[in-house]
Amino acid sequence: MREGNRVLPYLMLLIFALLIVPGTGRSAEPGLDEDATACLGCHGERGLTVKFPSGEVLDAFIDGNKFKASAHQSLSCSACHAEFSAKDHPQRTFRSREQYSGKASSVCRQCHAEEQLKKSPVHASLLAKENKAPVCSGCHNPHTVTSVAGGKQFVSEKDHCMRCHQHAMGITLRNGEKVSLKVDAAALEGSVHTKLACFDCHFGFSATRHPKRNFNTPRDFSIAQAEACRRCHFDKYTKTLESIHYSILSHGNLKAPVCTDCHGAHTVVQARADKLQSSKRCGRCHQAIFGTYTKSIHGTALVQENNTDVPICADCHTAHSIQGAHTQDYRDKVPETCGKCHGNSTLMKKYGLNPGVVNSYLQDFHGVTLKFYQRQKDGTAPDSARKAIATCVDCHGIHDITKTTGPTTNIVKARLKNRCQKCHAGATEEFPDAWLSHYEPSLSNAPLVFLINLTYKFFIPFMLIGLILQILLHVWRYAVNR
Amino acid sequence: MANKSHVFIKRFGIGRILEHQANALVFTLLVITGLSQRFHEYRVSNWIITTIGGVDTLRVVHRWSGIIFALLIVVHITLGIYGIIKKRWPAAMMVNVNDFLNAMENMRYYFGITNHPALCDRYDYKQKFEYWGVIAGGFLMISTGLVLWFPVDVARLLPGEVIPAAKAAHSNEALLAFLVIVTWHIYNSIFSPEVFPLDTAIFTGKISRERMVHEHPLELARIENVPVEEIVKHHHSHHADTGSHQDGGA
Repeated sequence: MREGNRVLPYLMLLIFALLIVPGTGRSAEPGLDEDATACLGCHGERGLTVKFPSGEVLDAFIDGNKFKASAHQSLSCSACHAEFSAKDHPQRTFRSREQYSGKASSVCRQCHAEEQLKKSPVHASLLAKENKAPVCSGCHNPHTVTSVAGGKQFVSEKDHCMRCHQHAMGITLRNGEKVSLKVDAAALEGSVHTKLACFDCHFGFSATRHPKRNFNTPRDFSIAQAEACRRCHFDKYTKTLESIHYSILSHGNLKAPVCTDCHGAHTVVQARADKLQSSKRCGRCHQAIFGTYTKSIHGTALVQENNTDVPICADCHTAHSIQGAHTQDYRDKVPETCGKCHGNSTLMKKYGLNPGVVNSYLQDFHGVTLKFYQRQKDGTAPDSARKAIATCVDCHGIHDITKTTGPTTNIVKARLKNRCQKCHAGATEEFPDAWLSHYEPSLSNAPLVFLINLTYKFFIPFMLIGLILQILLHVWRYAVNR
Repeated sequence: MANKSHVFIKRFGIGRILEHQANALVFTLLVITGLSQRFHEYRVSNWIITTIGGVDTLRVVHRWSGIIFALLIVVHITLGIYGIIKKRWPAAMMVNVNDFLNAMENMRYYFGITNHPALCDRYDYKQKFEYWGVIAGGFLMISTGLVLWFPVDVARLLPGEVIPAAKAAHSNEALLAFLVIVTWHIYNSIFSPEVFPLDTAIFTGKISRERMVHEHPLELARIENVPVEEIVKHHHSHHADTGSHQDGGA
């Protein structure tokens, strides 16, 4: 403490001197303050030594480059050598090198408190030796010391940042907008990234570095900062490159979402953990569609019953590689998309739904046509030549999917008729009856179709076996005659 | 009689020959373009559809083949009826009681109960079965095919269920026709020991007298203006000697 009190007047003197005597000494070497530059003017010369009365010699040469790379590079010389400054160089005498080292090392405790040192088993055992304990500089050269953990001091680094960023603080960006730089410590602890250090995402920053950056707008900052995510989530990042959101962003619309817009920054949680929250995030931009969805059979179950079986936005649109929903590719995949749930018999049984609906579509004329259109993508036939094939959404709705039974039956029926008429010009009210409504023909449902299939099921083998027996008899008779 | 074994008798005119070839071609096209849709999950179907240039092209080919097939049938029936009325040719394809009796007699022959096959006329019961199968099946395929081609117009007159019913009938009947042709017709015209390696009658229009003796003795008797017993007498003795049914290289 005695040392600390002595430093202050000298520091003030130094600042005073610098203020009233502009351009004192030489200009500061890059990366070092003026104080250190002045000292290195002499101490940067090789061969500078101090001779103690004991006859021992101490090298007083300081390698400026090594110092700049050291953990102490941001400290000025006088922070440790309290009585010395660019102006003052008091003459002091020590009996021996050991006496000097002991005195000089005591200044380390200003920053490296005893409690902190004792956390390290090495230091703890050395400190236990009382008078026989070696001095700091005996092991760590204070002018070249580097960070023990090589820059990775996870928790303590986070503490380092939070010392300031836990408080309400902010900056004003170039466009005049103020941005809060406060980080909610509790939310950070609750996030999935709690084990990461701040610098894992905020590149260039460390316990000793705090580069000054300036952005035009908060949006510029968010977009730039979201690039940090790909360092770990590279698979997701590459998926987003194919997405419509990225395409819009790269065309200059900065409103298109980046990672942090959906996942948050310091509050990242498992995206799928809360389905309702996940779909609400999409709803922040896609408000009208989200509104429609919440009124649909799926959305109602999600919002009112918190039913997690129902699809949310990301289930149909995917999360990262989101395609434009108006593309042919996306439309072609509709039966597959719906089939993920509606072809799952366990899930459909739970709700008393027919799990055969998707297959009945795929096996029918439209489904087969669609399948081959998809296969023709290799250029067998041009897209322009194809007909617009009706899929699930044309009759059942898209975001406004309704029940096919109960009061909404007529909505579906009307959609069906309208959809038929789009391709089959002049289709009457009765025309949709040609559609077997996803059900296998049976005596009660489409008996004519059922009976025709049944007849052939017996007639084809009967006929074939009869003819083959005739052939065999003929061959046998011929062989006997020979 | 030995000098008569290599005598050929005219069986079909150029009209019938061309008709058969056209039918064979159109039938093959219809089978390829139709069954590949029914069995769309098979790799060979996928190959056919993509090779032909997509499912829409395939359907165009199928429909044009269907039109030609329908025209062939309509022309055939019209001409056939016209010829019968004008007494240009006899109604040789008409089914009569003898066909059923012949079928049963051949059964007895196959099982060794009798020692000679049934005596048949210009067309035996197997040929009549195939002929009427093509005519009846053809009408079914044409009518159901039209229902599938023009569903909107059909649904104006008939209940909607007719359309999937037509699809079921069209698809099943096609499979039946295909299977009958690849077993029965291919056996009788290629693999049957009596004609192997190929019954050339439909290509050359001629048939050996030897085969006529075995297969159409009643017609041969009429042509040569002798009683049928005269025709088959030698046949039966010849039969006992060598047992050969093979025609002398038609």
